[in-house]
Amino acid sequence: MSKLTTTDLTKRFSGLVAVNDVTFNMEEGEILGIIGPNGAGKTTFIHLVSGILMPSSGTITFKGKDITYAPAHVRSRMGIARTYQLIHPLENLKVIENVMVGAVFSKDKSLKEARKSAEAICAELELGRLERDTAQLSILEIKKMEIARALANEPEVLFLDEVMAGLNSDETKQIIATVQRIAKERKMAVGVVEHVMGVIRELTHRVIVLEAGELIAEGTYETVSKNPRVVEAYLGGAA
Amino acid sequence: MANKRNAAILVALITVAVAAILVWRPTVIIYGLQSAGLYASIAIPMGLILGIVHIVNLAHGEFMMVAAYATYMLCSATGMDPFLAMVPAALVTAAFGFVIYKLTIKQALKAPELNQLILTFGIGISMTQIANLFFTSQTRKLSFDYVSASVDIGDLSFGIYKFVFVGIALLMIVGLRLFLTKTTTGKAALAVGQNPKGAAIVGIDVDKTYGFVFALASALVGMMGAVFITSSSIFPAVGSPFTMKSFCLIAMAGVGNIPGILSASILLGVSENFLKAFRGTRGWADIVFFVLIITVILGRSIKGKKG
Amino acid sequence: MKLKSSYIAVALAAVVVLAFPAFLGAYYLNVARSVMTYMALAISWDMLLRSGQISFGIAGLFGLGSYASALAVLRGGMDPFASIIFAAVFAGLMAFALGFVILRLRSMYFSITTLALMEIFRIVMHNLHDFSGGPEGVVLPVVIFNGDAPALYWLCLAGLIITIGVSWYFEKSKMHLALTAIRNDETSARSNGVDIFKYLLIAFVVTSTLQGMMGAIQVQSYGFTAPETAFDANFTLLPLAMALLGGIHSTIGPMAGAILLGIASEWLKLQIPYGHLIVYGVIIILVILFMPQGLLGMARKMIRAGRKAGATHE
Repeated sequence: MSKLTTTDLTKRFSGLVAVNDVTFNMEEGEILGIIGPNGAGKTTFIHLVSGILMPSSGTITFKGKDITYAPAHVRSRMGIARTYQLIHPLENLKVIENVMVGAVFSKDKSLKEARKSAEAICAELELGRLERDTAQLSILEIKKMEIARALANEPEVLFLDEVMAGLNSDETKQIIATVQRIAKERKMAVGVVEHVMGVIRELTHRVIVLEAGELIAEGTYETVSKNPRVVEAYLGGAA
Repeated sequence: MANKRNAAILVALITVAVAAILVWRPTVIIYGLQSAGLYASIAIPMGLILGIVHIVNLAHGEFMMVAAYATYMLCSATGMDPFLAMVPAALVTAAFGFVIYKLTIKQALKAPELNQLILTFGIGISMTQIANLFFTSQTRKLSFDYVSASVDIGDLSFGIYKFVFVGIALLMIVGLRLFLTKTTTGKAALAVGQNPKGAAIVGIDVDKTYGFVFALASALVGMMGAVFITSSSIFPAVGSPFTMKSFCLIAMAGVGNIPGILSASILLGVSENFLKAFRGTRGWADIVFFVLIITVILGRSIKGKKG
Repeated sequence: MKLKSSYIAVALAAVVVLAFPAFLGAYYLNVARSVMTYMALAISWDMLLRSGQISFGIAGLFGLGSYASALAVLRGGMDPFASIIFAAVFAGLMAFALGFVILRLRSMYFSITTLALMEIFRIVMHNLHDFSGGPEGVVLPVVIFNGDAPALYWLCLAGLIITIGVSWYFEKSKMHLALTAIRNDETSARSNGVDIFKYLLIAFVVTSTLQGMMGAIQVQSYGFTAPETAFDANFTLLPLAMALLGGIHSTIGPMAGAILLGIASEWLKLQIPYGHLIVYGVIIILVILFMPQGLLGMARKMIRAGRKAGATHE
């Protein structure tokens, strides 16, 4: 069952076309890789589907409903969540409070219930000592907190924007396992933007490739990595 | 983009002007232009700081007030004409602005934007209170014969002295345009305003540029303080309406659009004078800027929604 | 155990404060009322600041409350006590209408527009001669409670307690999460379901209601108001300095700042009649540059350093 669909989605910034006529969909339970060279429009695309930016033209549908111009906070409540490439923890809130925000405002939970949910999610991600200030977290913990924050919204569709960046290979393996587990248990559709092709190969069921805002290829990692146009776009090919 | 904005202002302007003519108060347009000149000359330096250093100087009006008082003291003591005092006034205010920048604003630049607002608010209040301390709230004025120069056209008689403000505003616009596009310092300033990090990478000393721009804007507003005292009485709080109106004009024109400030000033000046022309509405003239800024905010938020 | 002792301390302080009229004369009660008024304004200013929005419009909403209450009594024949409630609601409604427009754009647009409020309301009251009494202002037929000093004191204290209560609620409820999230990172707040406009509007309306309430209490306690007194810039300046000095983003900080500066203000007024307000301007500048977290922040830092030192000693 298709969860999220975009049709001819376009975003223009006075002259620059960042996302150009992208049509795609995400199915329940699939982990979709979103790849492309730098500046291909991947993050802009995620801003469009999560509601941080409004499209110039095209439509976005979520579970059959048109959400093209729905504000970001409404989309969170409906079940679309995302992480950010440049993670900005809420520095005046404790770790547990950072995670609670989604539970309180997307799921209308009381502070007590939200705390319980947040604690459960953090336990699942093996994130401990939740009364700390965010300044004291390690990089791996910050990434885990970022994922936890998104999960607190109990999303049906989750976008992870370069969540592996800065992690060593052990930490990356941990996060890959975590993403696979949460996607399966929660039956979520997950969109993963990554530059490390090894991650994409291991984690995703299907891949879409963006270049200069356009969708140039779609398929399994094997198919896509052999696509000449994709190879050319990366100037040197995938790993 | 600036052209669409200027067009909108022009349309509003023509409407008000036509209304003025219809009730046969052509002095509205004349005095409106003169007010516009004054407002624009004060707003342009504030716009310069906002566009390049990216801070709103809530003490802007107080800088002018300080220059006006300094000129008052100089001219009462020496009998100098304020127009001659423009030069020392500009220099003193420039130095003053530069010191304020180095001591306070420079530190606050690293801090979140809102700290800067509170900081300049505090600076403005302090300056007003210092003036209160030294001069009390009693108004001061200087009189000059040339201020009452007037002209008769048919039945119409109106003062023409205040056209000097329009002249100054035009000089500022042309002067700044030349400075920003033809001189090295000016081009560096423009670059810093658009992209401070990029400018630093190509070797421009951002801090020096900020200091210079602050001093330049202070010099201009200091100059205006000297001219201001020729035709207006001054008191410690005289600057604050100008700060707010200047911000309104910059918001209307759009940050970075210096010529637009003049068009916006004309709209403000003519509208205010329109209300001043009738006994019934005279007291409401000072609300105009508020209505204008609300309109700008509404317009901008509607545009924002459309994405 | 720790919790209990601080609660006991607060309870004791509350009892002492409530009992002030028993042993303080009219002059000191007056000073106390002034301090409490500024304290309430400082706390209410801080409540909106927690969302990251700076309002310079305290004097505007305060004065609006004064006029609403005075005119409700004079033109509407309302009971003085009821007029206070009316004025608070009126200020809240005004803030709702205004906030609806100006909260869509943030930071400098919002802040400078609030700065203009004081001027605008003053001009409106100045111009509506017949209704508002014009430049001379209005005089109330009777001061509330017939000017009984203890009663006036407790009225003001009630207003302060309400303000403290609401601020404390903001700190303990989901408002704390909402406002802090908005202040720290609006974008990620939006991605976590926070309707930014809604919460900013709530904060603006609630704080304006409180400021209007204090303005109404003021006018009822003094029996007159005029454009210059109601919309006096001091009602913006002092609360800002107090909250900043004490420590923003808390209830206790503004309270501490208000006590310190409120008392200092009485002394200063006698020393420097003209321009003693410069002290507040300078305090604002110094705190922003050197001590942005205020005294409370410095105290927290010292406690933390003390704890670390204690830990390393093991």
